[in-house]
Amino acid sequence: MSMSNRSRKKLLDFLQFLVILLAAIIILVPIYWIVSGAFKQQVDIFQLKLLFTPTLDNFKIIFKSPYNLFDKLVNSTLVALSTVMITIPLATLAAYSFSRFRMKAEKVMFVTILATQFVPAVVIVLPFFILFRDIGILDTRLALVLVNLSLIMPFAIWMIKGFIDGIPLDTEEAALVDGSGRIQVVLNVVIPMALPGVITAGIFCFILAWNEFLFALIITTNKAVTLPVGLSLFHAEEGVLWHLISAAGIMIMLPMFVLATLIQKHFVQGMTMGAVR
Amino acid sequence: MRDRYLKYLFVMPAVLVVFTAAIWPLIQSFYMSFREWKLSRSRFSRPLWEYEYDGWENISYLFENYLRAFEDDAMWNAVRVTSTFTVASVVFTIGLALALALLLAPGGRFRFTVRTLLILPFAMSPALIGVSWRFMFQPDFGLFKAFFDVLIPPLADADWLGDPTLALIAVTGSDVWHWTPYLTLVFIGGLANVPRDAQEAAMIDGAPAWMVFRDVTLPSMLPVLAVGVILKTIFSLKMFDQVFMLTNGGPGNATQTLAHFIYFQGFKYYDMGYASAVSYLLVIPMFGLTWLYMRLVFLKK
Amino acid sequence: MNDISLSIHDQEFLVLLGPSGCGKTTTMRMVAGLEEPSMGDIFIGSKKVNDELPKDRDVAMVFQNYGLYPHMSVYENIRYPLKVRKVPKSEHEHLVRKTAVKVELGNLLNRRPRELSGGQRQRVALARAIVRAPTVFLMDEPLSNLDAKLRVNMRAELKHLQHELRITTIYVTHDQIEAMTLADRVAVMDNGIISQLDTPERIYNDPDNLFVAGFIGSPSMNLLEGSMEDGKFLHSGFSVKAGFGSNQDVTLGIRPEDLELTSAENTDCSGRVYSFELTGESTLVTVQLADDRLTIRGPNEYRVAIDETVGIRFNPEKCYLFDSESKQRIRS
Repeated sequence: MSMSNRSRKKLLDFLQFLVILLAAIIILVPIYWIVSGAFKQQVDIFQLKLLFTPTLDNFKIIFKSPYNLFDKLVNSTLVALSTVMITIPLATLAAYSFSRFRMKAEKVMFVTILATQFVPAVVIVLPFFILFRDIGILDTRLALVLVNLSLIMPFAIWMIKGFIDGIPLDTEEAALVDGSGRIQVVLNVVIPMALPGVITAGIFCFILAWNEFLFALIITTNKAVTLPVGLSLFHAEEGVLWHLISAAGIMIMLPMFVLATLIQKHFVQGMTMGAVR
Repeated sequence: MRDRYLKYLFVMPAVLVVFTAAIWPLIQSFYMSFREWKLSRSRFSRPLWEYEYDGWENISYLFENYLRAFEDDAMWNAVRVTSTFTVASVVFTIGLALALALLLAPGGRFRFTVRTLLILPFAMSPALIGVSWRFMFQPDFGLFKAFFDVLIPPLADADWLGDPTLALIAVTGSDVWHWTPYLTLVFIGGLANVPRDAQEAAMIDGAPAWMVFRDVTLPSMLPVLAVGVILKTIFSLKMFDQVFMLTNGGPGNATQTLAHFIYFQGFKYYDMGYASAVSYLLVIPMFGLTWLYMRLVFLKK
Repeated sequence: MNDISLSIHDQEFLVLLGPSGCGKTTTMRMVAGLEEPSMGDIFIGSKKVNDELPKDRDVAMVFQNYGLYPHMSVYENIRYPLKVRKVPKSEHEHLVRKTAVKVELGNLLNRRPRELSGGQRQRVALARAIVRAPTVFLMDEPLSNLDAKLRVNMRAELKHLQHELRITTIYVTHDQIEAMTLADRVAVMDNGIISQLDTPERIYNDPDNLFVAGFIGSPSMNLLEGSMEDGKFLHSGFSVKAGFGSNQDVTLGIRPEDLELTSAENTDCSGRVYSFELTGESTLVTVQLADDRLTIRGPNEYRVAIDETVGIRFNPEKCYLFDSESKQRIRS
């Protein structure tokens, strides 16, 4: 080896830098593609221009009819919010129980709850479609919330339990010895300590519900359409209206990026998927 | 102690929700798979087998939907597509995520900044990912056309979404793009738990960097990797959103995964009974994988 | 790290001693190649090793937390260095077994680290280090995770082993008893520099400065601030004939065993008893002296009550004087 160890190390460091840079670029490109498309005029898109004069027109168009993206935005927000508001309190209680108590058939219960996560969404949606159709709540936000719960609730329980497992028992036990009842302990001691984890889980679930596609595709047709399904509105006869669909895409993406960046720090804590104890 | 009843009270609401929202439909689907139900024809389902009319000797009628599935070429095509897709996406995702985790694990401002990017693909709606990639693969004005024009001219004219093989590669690519950064974060967490002393001991004992990885780091990472593989496999088998938006199963049915096939049967042809049956065929490998996952994670305790 | 310069003799057992954060572990890791010096050179033998990777330096290290390979058996752990350095396979078994016997692990070769006790794991780490007879041994507080009794036993084992193997050893610890009992020479370190480098005897009996004097000895040396005048040490309340020195501000040091407890008359000074401890082999009495407290080691039958007044006599030969400002030792 003609190179000394020191310069060899420098070369390796440089190569690492390049590869990481490449990875970062690959991650950003599809995102950037949508972002740039949203600000281009349709003509610019067809000509694949790199330099273009940006325009905000696309956003104006998508909020008017026939697209009415604002309605979709409202639907997405309400559905995701409702799902999360129902899920988080219930999931936190259940997660606490699973974490702190021994129950009969505890394992079976927990395993079954998790297992529903692994079932293809279609299996769940078929019966719901028929049920909703029969009782007439097809194409309503309520229906969508009900179906979303199947996806979000198990996930929330699992994630919050992971956080609660990581909270030491000492403070709770001290409170119990001091004379608090279990419910007070949960409210006054556990929840404040678990709050970062619960909020993280809540935001996570919101993101999942917001991005959810299949259920919305099947259950909604008109009034209750959410943003992701709204994307298919932009398939016109001449082809896809890329400039408009990109603008809609930004509405879907950016709020979630903001939320995701917020919970980043707490993210990995619960996310080793239970494998590392 | 009050705890005895309280703990069940705590779990009840959530369990109830899961039962109504997830378990009931599963049972219903199973039941429907043994009936004929073409929504386009009639509002109600019709049993496939009735004792009074068919008798015991014709009990096989009950399984008509399942038998039909086995004869259906389109179904087998979907199986083929799903298998190929799953294997490819799992291999590439896990491999790339591990490599990226190793690269990004050490400290430093540059690496930290890149790590903050990792969560973005996960936060993006898979449907939107499908749209974005479809856009990029457009033959006349897509990003890839420009890219290949400059770097690999022979590929520039390829119509990615019109070619069966290339389309599947495109779908796989979008899925790998979606999951790799997330798994990278998980693996970085796993790497942090590898005993540092043992790694340094190996360096001093005389092992070069790759050997330290093979003999110390990798064995410690095995549980995390295994869980990653199982979960990614399950997610790949379920994948729907990207296929729908990117290729809608096409060209022809070259990229029609089982999830997509089931969707078509149930909501394009409104053949509910058949769709249910095929979904349950998909559920079987899922249960197997779920069982594996549970063993791995819960047996540790 | 600040600035140190150290030359270690062949086959010497050198101990780096000091409180947490003094730089002793960092120094050792630099020798191992796990950390890089920002300035200066490191030589092993006559070879400059600054640019060499740890694996090329022919050193072996025993970690504080043992650093065992969790997924390998004891046998495989000990064998690893041989495997990696491409020692012919035929010799592995023999070498591993020989080493295992030396550390009394002969019958545990098939176990996994998680099945072993702390002491056993430590011996595996030791075996792994000695199996390939390296040029240098590095040990990073290897005994600090063991319980007290085991620690004492292992100290004797280590000393014997080192003598038998005759390998140059650098040993890092914060425990001065380990340093005193094991070392050929001790480097007392403080804030990244070497305070004194000497044999254990001289470190104990002839400290160079206040830091070393106060760090070595258990219980530690009593230190009193005062001034010298005409050969007498003046402290609030008493004076002691200390022999030499020009008139200046000094700190007087005297070890507990060099002070004598007497009745309240016929003494250099007296004070009230603050507390006392029976250690079995002696009695340690702490006496309040105006603003200071002195600890005196008395015979094990000596009994006294708290708040009782006692007298203390200083042994003038054993008084150490340190310049209050420079902290250096004043020698006659």
